[in-house]
Amino acid sequence: MLLKKLFRTLWQYKAQFISMVLMIALGVGVFLGFNIEWYSLEVNTNEIYTATGFADYRIFSEKGFSGDDLNAVLSIPGVEDATRFLSVNTTVQNDTDVIALTVSENMNVSGILLTSGEAYDEQSPDGLWLSDQYAQANGVSVGDTLTLTYKMLTVTGTVRGLVKASEYLICLPDETQLMPDYSSYGYAYMSPVMLEKIVPAIFKSFIGDSLYFQINVKSALDKATFVKQADAALGKTFLVLSKAETISWAEAQGEVEEGKTMGSILPVLFLAIAILTMVTTMHRITASEKTQIGTLKALGFRDRRILRHYTCYALIIGLLGTVLGVGIGYWLGWFIMNPSGAMATYIDMPSWKLYAPWFCWVVLALINVFLTFIGFLSVKKMLQGTAADALRPYTPKKIRHLALEETRRFKALGFGTKWNLRDLFRHKSRSCMTLVGIVGCMVLLVGGLGMRDTADGFVDVFFNQANNYETRVNLDGESVINAEAEALAGQYGADWCAQSSVQIGDRGFSLEIYSVTHDKVRFPDEAMQFITLSDEGAYICARIAKEFNVRPGDEITFSPYGGDQTYTVKIAGILRSMSESVVMTKAYADAAGIAYTVNTLYTDETEIAPHSHILNTQTKQAIMDSFDTFMDLMNTMIYLLVLAAVALGVVVLYNLGVMSYTERYREMATLKVVGFKNSKIGRLLISQNLWLTVLGILIGLPAGVGVLQYLLTALASEYEMKLSLGPATYLVSILLTFGVSLAVGLMVARKNRHIDMVSALKGQE
Amino acid sequence: MNIVEFKGVSRVYTNGEHEQRALDHVDLSLEEGKFIVVLGPSGAGKSTLLNLLGGLDSPTEGTILVGGKDISTLTNNELADYRAATVGFVFQSYNLIPTLTVIENVALVKEIAPEPLSSHDMLKAVGLFDHIHQFPAELSGGEQQRVSIARALAKNPKILLCDEPTGALDSETGVMVLKLLLSMARDMGKTIIIVTHNQNIAKMADVVVRVKNGRIQSCESQQNPLAVEEVDW
Repeated sequence: MLLKKLFRTLWQYKAQFISMVLMIALGVGVFLGFNIEWYSLEVNTNEIYTATGFADYRIFSEKGFSGDDLNAVLSIPGVEDATRFLSVNTTVQNDTDVIALTVSENMNVSGILLTSGEAYDEQSPDGLWLSDQYAQANGVSVGDTLTLTYKMLTVTGTVRGLVKASEYLICLPDETQLMPDYSSYGYAYMSPVMLEKIVPAIFKSFIGDSLYFQINVKSALDKATFVKQADAALGKTFLVLSKAETISWAEAQGEVEEGKTMGSILPVLFLAIAILTMVTTMHRITASEKTQIGTLKALGFRDRRILRHYTCYALIIGLLGTVLGVGIGYWLGWFIMNPSGAMATYIDMPSWKLYAPWFCWVVLALINVFLTFIGFLSVKKMLQGTAADALRPYTPKKIRHLALEETRRFKALGFGTKWNLRDLFRHKSRSCMTLVGIVGCMVLLVGGLGMRDTADGFVDVFFNQANNYETRVNLDGESVINAEAEALAGQYGADWCAQSSVQIGDRGFSLEIYSVTHDKVRFPDEAMQFITLSDEGAYICARIAKEFNVRPGDEITFSPYGGDQTYTVKIAGILRSMSESVVMTKAYADAAGIAYTVNTLYTDETEIAPHSHILNTQTKQAIMDSFDTFMDLMNTMIYLLVLAAVALGVVVLYNLGVMSYTERYREMATLKVVGFKNSKIGRLLISQNLWLTVLGILIGLPAGVGVLQYLLTALASEYEMKLSLGPATYLVSILLTFGVSLAVGLMVARKNRHIDMVSALKGQE
Repeated sequence: MNIVEFKGVSRVYTNGEHEQRALDHVDLSLEEGKFIVVLGPSGAGKSTLLNLLGGLDSPTEGTILVGGKDISTLTNNELADYRAATVGFVFQSYNLIPTLTVIENVALVKEIAPEPLSSHDMLKAVGLFDHIHQFPAELSGGEQQRVSIARALAKNPKILLCDEPTGALDSETGVMVLKLLLSMARDMGKTIIIVTHNQNIAKMADVVVRVKNGRIQSCESQQNPLAVEEVDW
């Protein structure tokens, strides 16, 4: 019989029950969804790292490694496996596409995964194993022939298979690009046999068998030990990068960390609101059920039985919310992490299975225990005392005079304002919950839309304004001499850059030496204002400044990769930069005696004549186009946040609105009997909502900006973004929050048309 | 002069297939400025009669004229205007707004009544001027009922409708409230209609209407109603 009562009571309080189930479902869904996102990314990337034997270390040499060098590395205790490795950017013949042509002697280290076609053949004289994403974007199929050029060399091969590779998990030509663009950049592997075949004999006789500029190593040694051992084995200091310093690993891990950060803020907000809503609503429901609880007690039901019965409500709500939330969580996870989504353009993983971290299930179980406990405590309170005590209706807290009532201004207020004010203070938990809901809605909107503003500003400053050129010309750093490069720069009215790799401590960074005379490249400072580089010192990016705790006026020491020299430079300023770099002018580099080779020109010319020193060209438009994907990914997140914000606002406000309506039902019936019209009573109800909305917006705006700042700080290791919020973001956030509040307010206010004055006022209070 | 006329009024409640006839073809005329008591057992239809007259409910058939105006066909908003201007309600359970003070509960009718009376005067009249800044919960039952009467009177209505106004009060407080209501009829010329099942109250009425099974059993004028003090409580 009690079971029947259980379901009928559920139906009686359906608005509250549905709201609570939805709130919990939203909380659980967002919590699980974001955790599924980062954890699936971690598991799936680990899968490809393991399957392809992703190297732990990369040793670089400017002159190439011999077979003996490889054997020396293999003989280091703690080295499991190693391979000589080569990757050069080649240009597709009759096209501007660039393909990183890659050769590895041992595919057990940083190898490939076949997705279609023939398995990799290390003896193949003409086979290419091409990136499946590049193939798809450019309509290349297995069996097609590709001709690639590198300087004076031409390589023609047949596509034997389509692959994915851990080395190109995030396929970016360099750090200045944010997103892969497979329509213009990809990679291909060929066998060492083919490499031998295409390199002219005369070249080989000159450099011996040192065609490979990199050794990839699998080893569990820590970096300091490995570097020491490698230097000893090779008899020279080489640049060594750990996997954490590769784009593939660092960016994927950055994405995982980003997911963890997102997964720690939003779900906490949602779950906290869900639990608080549950506390408030369960208390209200048991309070209005008090007479029934008393009746059961008076009939002879034991307290334990009554407790069990009413605790079941909380349990049912918790379980239903959790089941629905798990569904939402997996949908959210799938929405972000699916092979045709924006994330798939960024990270080229073979598997997109969804995994939830184990602790999520523990948290969900604890939430259910906690929710049930809330229900238990609410009923326990109503059962206190004798059966006669329990039978007495619940008496709300006694109303007290507010301190502000003594003020003249309060006395002058209309009755509606006084009524609403006192109601707000009398039902503090309900009012606070409404406020929290509105603040939450506002935080999500400001955070989400503000993130887009910030990203827009970031792309605009770093790429549109800072790159004030039309064409970037990449020179062959190995063959060009500075005088020739400067002559080319003069010919095209170009600014130039000499980019090389340096080490600060044991970390690798980029050294960029600029000659800027045509305003083709610009440098934003910490405040995102473009500055003219001083000849009196070097500039460092914000990340280096933070990592080494240095400020302008301090000095910093670096050494070129593989070289023995060290340079100590004075820090003239801090820049915001895409790459982790040290930047200086040509004049300062010359004065400091730093050797460099010019390898990039920046010009407004779009017609660049072929030249023996020019490797390839990139248009600014091509770089800008790649941001479309970045912005797509960003927009997906924004839509989700806006959706979540609106859902949160609607559910919380509707639940509490209905609660407020139920509690004031009798008062509204009285007003109606006295002669108040429905519209006037509706306005009274809505005005309380609107006050809380205005207050919520006032709190939510700075809170949203704070959360966004926290997110940006958490992401600072990946992007040096500066918080920027446009007026439209403020306006849309305010209007949307206001709109949600007003719409829900109207929905609840409409109910007062159905107040039955006769039955509402019949009973005794 | 008749202020209230019921002509063939019925009120039928349907609950699924079950039909309950709360009032059945009622014809009734009541004079202005009288102290009228409607008597009847529980379920007789007396509250329905009061609710129809108060504009809280509408008849299924028939016509109700109040001051010559048919209220049985009014829209919701017109009924609200009618309640605001013409009738005042006093309930057994007071129905005050708990979050408004005594004076505010009375003054709130100023927002809707076309010719409201002074709230202070009304509270003086019911003897509660010293309690005007207290909340209803801080008052006794009798005091709350007097606030409810003051609120009803503050609208300056022609008719005061009272549904078991002494039902929740002890006899001493009940007498005080009845005295107050009676003086409203005698001194202010208001028509007071009290619905009750307490036979004793009928002894002080100008007119006694007896209701049973949804029909008017009798409607009798009393030439010499007793004073409140003379009634044996």
